[in-house]
Amino acid sequence: MGRFVIRRLASLVGVLIAISILTFLIFTAIPHPELSLAGRFPTPATLAHIRHQWGFDRPVYIRYLLIMKLIFTGQIISYTQQTNVVSQLVHYLPVTASLAIGAGVIWLSMGIVFGLLSAWRAGRWLDRGLTVLSLIGVSTPVFFLGAVLSYYFGDKLGWLPAGDYAPLSNPFEWLKHMIMPWFALSVLFIGVYSRVLRSTILDTINDDYVRTARAKGLTERQVMVRHVLRNSMIPIISLFGLDFAAVIGGGAILTETVFNLHGIGQYAEQSVQALDIPPVMVITIFGAFMVVLIGAIVDLLYAVLDPRIRL
Amino acid sequence: MRKYKRPLWAVVAVAMAFAVAACGSSGSSSTSSSSAGASSSTTSGGSSGGKTGGTASVVEGTFPQSLDPSIDFTTQGGEVHWLTHLGVLSFAHASGNAGTQIIPAIATALPTTSNGGKTYTFTVRSGLKYSDGTPVKASDFKFSVERALKLGWSAASFLTSTVQGAADYAKGKAQTVSGIIADDASGKVTVHLVTPYGAFEDVLACGGCVPFMPASTPMKPEPNNPPVGFGPYVIKNIQPNVGFDLDINPNYASQAIPGIPAGKMNITVKVESNTTTEASDVINNSADVFDWGDTIPPAEIQQVSKLTDRFRAVQSNKTFYWFLNVNEKPFNNTLAREAVATAVDRPALARLGSGALVPGCYLLPPAMVGHPTQTCPYGDPNSPPNVAKAKQLVQQSGMAGQPVTVWAENRQPRLQWAENYAATLNAIGFKATLKTIADAEYFSTIETLKNHPQTGFADWQQDFPNPTDFYQNLVDGNAILPVGNSNYEEANDPHIQSELKALYPVPATQVDSVASRWQALDYYTAQKAYVVPYGYLSSPEFLSSRIDFSKVVFSPLEGNDFSSLQLK
Amino acid sequence: MSTTATGTELSAESSAWADAGEELPPGLGPYQLAWRRLKRNKVALVFGALFLLVVILCLLAPVYSHDIAHTGPNDEHVDTALNQFGLPIGPTWHAKFFLGADNTGRDVAVRLLYGGRNSLQIGAEATLITIVLATLLGILAGYFRGPLDGLISRVFELIWAYPVILLGIALGVVLAISGLDLGFTRLSGNSLQIPAIIIGVIYIPYVGKPVRGQVLGLREREFIDAARQQGLGHMRIMFSEILPNVASTIIVFIPLIMANAILTEAGLSFLGAGVRPPNPSWGTMIGEGIGLLPAAVHTMLVPGIMLVLCVLGINVFGDGVRDALDPRAKIRIEH
Repeated sequence: MGRFVIRRLASLVGVLIAISILTFLIFTAIPHPELSLAGRFPTPATLAHIRHQWGFDRPVYIRYLLIMKLIFTGQIISYTQQTNVVSQLVHYLPVTASLAIGAGVIWLSMGIVFGLLSAWRAGRWLDRGLTVLSLIGVSTPVFFLGAVLSYYFGDKLGWLPAGDYAPLSNPFEWLKHMIMPWFALSVLFIGVYSRVLRSTILDTINDDYVRTARAKGLTERQVMVRHVLRNSMIPIISLFGLDFAAVIGGGAILTETVFNLHGIGQYAEQSVQALDIPPVMVITIFGAFMVVLIGAIVDLLYAVLDPRIRL
Repeated sequence: MRKYKRPLWAVVAVAMAFAVAACGSSGSSSTSSSSAGASSSTTSGGSSGGKTGGTASVVEGTFPQSLDPSIDFTTQGGEVHWLTHLGVLSFAHASGNAGTQIIPAIATALPTTSNGGKTYTFTVRSGLKYSDGTPVKASDFKFSVERALKLGWSAASFLTSTVQGAADYAKGKAQTVSGIIADDASGKVTVHLVTPYGAFEDVLACGGCVPFMPASTPMKPEPNNPPVGFGPYVIKNIQPNVGFDLDINPNYASQAIPGIPAGKMNITVKVESNTTTEASDVINNSADVFDWGDTIPPAEIQQVSKLTDRFRAVQSNKTFYWFLNVNEKPFNNTLAREAVATAVDRPALARLGSGALVPGCYLLPPAMVGHPTQTCPYGDPNSPPNVAKAKQLVQQSGMAGQPVTVWAENRQPRLQWAENYAATLNAIGFKATLKTIADAEYFSTIETLKNHPQTGFADWQQDFPNPTDFYQNLVDGNAILPVGNSNYEEANDPHIQSELKALYPVPATQVDSVASRWQALDYYTAQKAYVVPYGYLSSPEFLSSRIDFSKVVFSPLEGNDFSSLQLK
Repeated sequence: MSTTATGTELSAESSAWADAGEELPPGLGPYQLAWRRLKRNKVALVFGALFLLVVILCLLAPVYSHDIAHTGPNDEHVDTALNQFGLPIGPTWHAKFFLGADNTGRDVAVRLLYGGRNSLQIGAEATLITIVLATLLGILAGYFRGPLDGLISRVFELIWAYPVILLGIALGVVLAISGLDLGFTRLSGNSLQIPAIIIGVIYIPYVGKPVRGQVLGLREREFIDAARQQGLGHMRIMFSEILPNVASTIIVFIPLIMANAILTEAGLSFLGAGVRPPNPSWGTMIGEGIGLLPAAVHTMLVPGIMLVLCVLGINVFGDGVRDALDPRAKIRIEH
């Protein structure tokens, strides 16, 4: 157990360093970063000032170390508006967390329900119907689905707000604003999860240890719940960990953009478009951190769920 | 020019010189303790009493670059700092032409010039106090200039290229700006310029350009805790990228400057990056003021344009044009340039701009001094172009089939305009391809001289109502620079250069006296087709039905005057 | 997650489509068996045909443009197709502007087909890049193990931990400014190949990891030992012994990656970091259409529906292929 934790931590640090370097390197391809920061018609003095202010006159690796130092002391400020990036991130987090948690609950529960029904009725019409639905789900881009929902239920029918975030201080408004984004973001995942769950259940049923369990005289119900379901949940939990972490870490850019939710994803996207490296660095590091952290939690859950895995 | 969009209205008139003179004398005769907004010398709205109280919410497409005036030079920042951080002079709080007149703000009167226009002298009003109670001093002006230079104000070139010693100070070669001498005892400030520069008064007047602030302000950017200022409002409750409040400055009314009234409503500014939502918020009265720097999106303009009791499209001094690089094939050829000027489909471009673009062919916009009155040299901008003639010109030029790269910004409607332009070039015989650049990089890319862009999108919005602003940046051969080149067409025409040399020193308040000379020059520029202007933008003055539309001042320079907002 | 499915035996109930309890003739090779199963899966075939139809229509874009609509994909008809506020006309159901016009007065139907060509081309190129590089890296890592495996697996982890769309827009925005120097050729920022390369690279770990896992298992098997004892070189073993054994996994991934590559292209183009204007693609068209909402809804619906149909065709067909070849594969799909 202790070794496992240490290995995990080491890999976490490794991934974070690698991600930060990659992010940084991507943006060093921009020929003159100071030009886009200087506004129109900068004087040589202004340019020199900006180069010095942001360390563009230093070697690449020094610049990288400077940025990392500022990030980990929480003092990093953005190029364009010169605001503290970490406090910005904290400001945007509730929006993204609202989106991720609500959608996560929906897609996990509906994915499991659909997957169970599909496996239970494997090969029958219910299974076929759910399969078609889930394939449509995975074939529909979230921003298209979001735009269609927002247009019909927001603009046309006026049942729900077409976009924007309402803070949790008014729970009813918050709920009204979040329903469509939750649903739009969930559809793809429901499709994936129900398909994965269905096929793992069907696979597990034929596994040796399930046969053994049956042979030991356990009832079909006990076999299903204790062995089949428990094991079939493993890939689902693993997927959920990754996807949930990605959404929290700013991965739901398209959903946030189409519903105009000012969350971490939109902050990341706008910063990329403005070539504002500090926020992009912080968000990718944060996102990767979430992926690796939640990945580690998932691995721990594995051990609980799968009798064959021992750490 | 300021980032984003800065509209405008009118300038001009022979009356202006008179109005300014009158205003100046009334300003100098009034004492520092005149009461709030009383007997304002400006022409319309705003100061004429009315209801007080309540909070108005303003929706804006983008957050100001910085709420620290020593950094910011944006539309969204200017309209705020105009009310929170007064400078030496100000533009009058009035709609239309009257709003372009320069009035004294912290100075007792308009500056006097001497030494052939190279020395400006003014006196700071005595007894003024900043919003925190600190007394306003003459030396604060010098401090503000130095802080703007040190912090890298986005428009620092206004100072470095004009004020003696400013460039050295910015480079760190001098401890202080030698050209500014301030005497706190008498309140007298003397500014020495490098060359006579008539538009210097405009620089002293534009919103947030050189604001007064206490010399104790930290020498570092303070976007979330802006320097203390003197003005009708104070900035409060800043949430970066989200919004901020403008509260009425309780200490202003008792020391109000004539012509700069105290505020009537508190203001909440909220950023709403989706312009469709922004517009619908104002349509359904959940917000009160639409950002004048944004354009009402095509999907909603139809509906909004019917709300004539609270919407008006105000023509602004912002020109959109295609530049044609005279050092690169094919536009080193005069006939090839004339062909483009003939072929550009201005009515189509206006339609692509959702009707917010008014077709035109001159660089100086209609409300600007010096806008030519002659018919356009290459056909009426309001009717479809003569494509056949343009084709013929291309054939004559021998440039048919030449590859042309059209540089364009990657956002609407600029992208659509560029697509249309590229199609036009193809239709008359060039081989045009579009090169789109991310917004954040567009201007810095085409302003790098070694890229030598052949042709592409450019725009200019007045910083102040003076044709010098357009010409010194866009056409003057001295603006051709390796980095930060703003003369994209790279034209260095001897006739233009000699005219500019004569026109630059004319003081801002006397620019009407040389209007016809500017007109002739601008006609000449259009004829040479170094640049091919295609239209001018109109700005939306769009308010909720809660606000008294008839009382609102829409400044041609700073947009909706928040201090004039009041409930019906 | 790792995907280590190696079995090719069919568990009939694993497919939603194949009728349970069917007998398949014995003595067939795995691919013949798969082909027979696929042929029996009518739903998969119908959707495969749907995808093929979309491809053919898109390939016929120049014919439609030239002979029916009489306008090119970038030809603007500002006078006839836009009203005074710049709003485009809706579908006319005639040869001209069959599906209406877009925000610059271009024929949506013509752009739909040309845009489809770009979307499909990027999808195909990205898939090719992913499959070739992932197979190569996966086999190398699994076969040699040791430090090489360590390095390749770390690179996979790195790309894996990066949110797909964020990595895509970061690369998209930067490469559009600086262009991409591949050594043998230089791609300008506007090139269609840039989004294809970005998407192709992003998906490498999604195929590379399962391939590596499978190879790790295979290299311990007897036939590899036998090949080694015969003195076959590493290259021979990797490409003539191991590759055929991972081929079915790779085939299963092809439609999946293709579908996701097309969706990712659409997402990146929607955000302005994919296909550069005026080149159409379904993503840019949807993005422009969303910009016009709540007016002119056809500009968003038309390319969106076409995109969904195309990707659905690939997905259902790919699902059938997977059921036929490798019914137990578990695959992670990213958004």
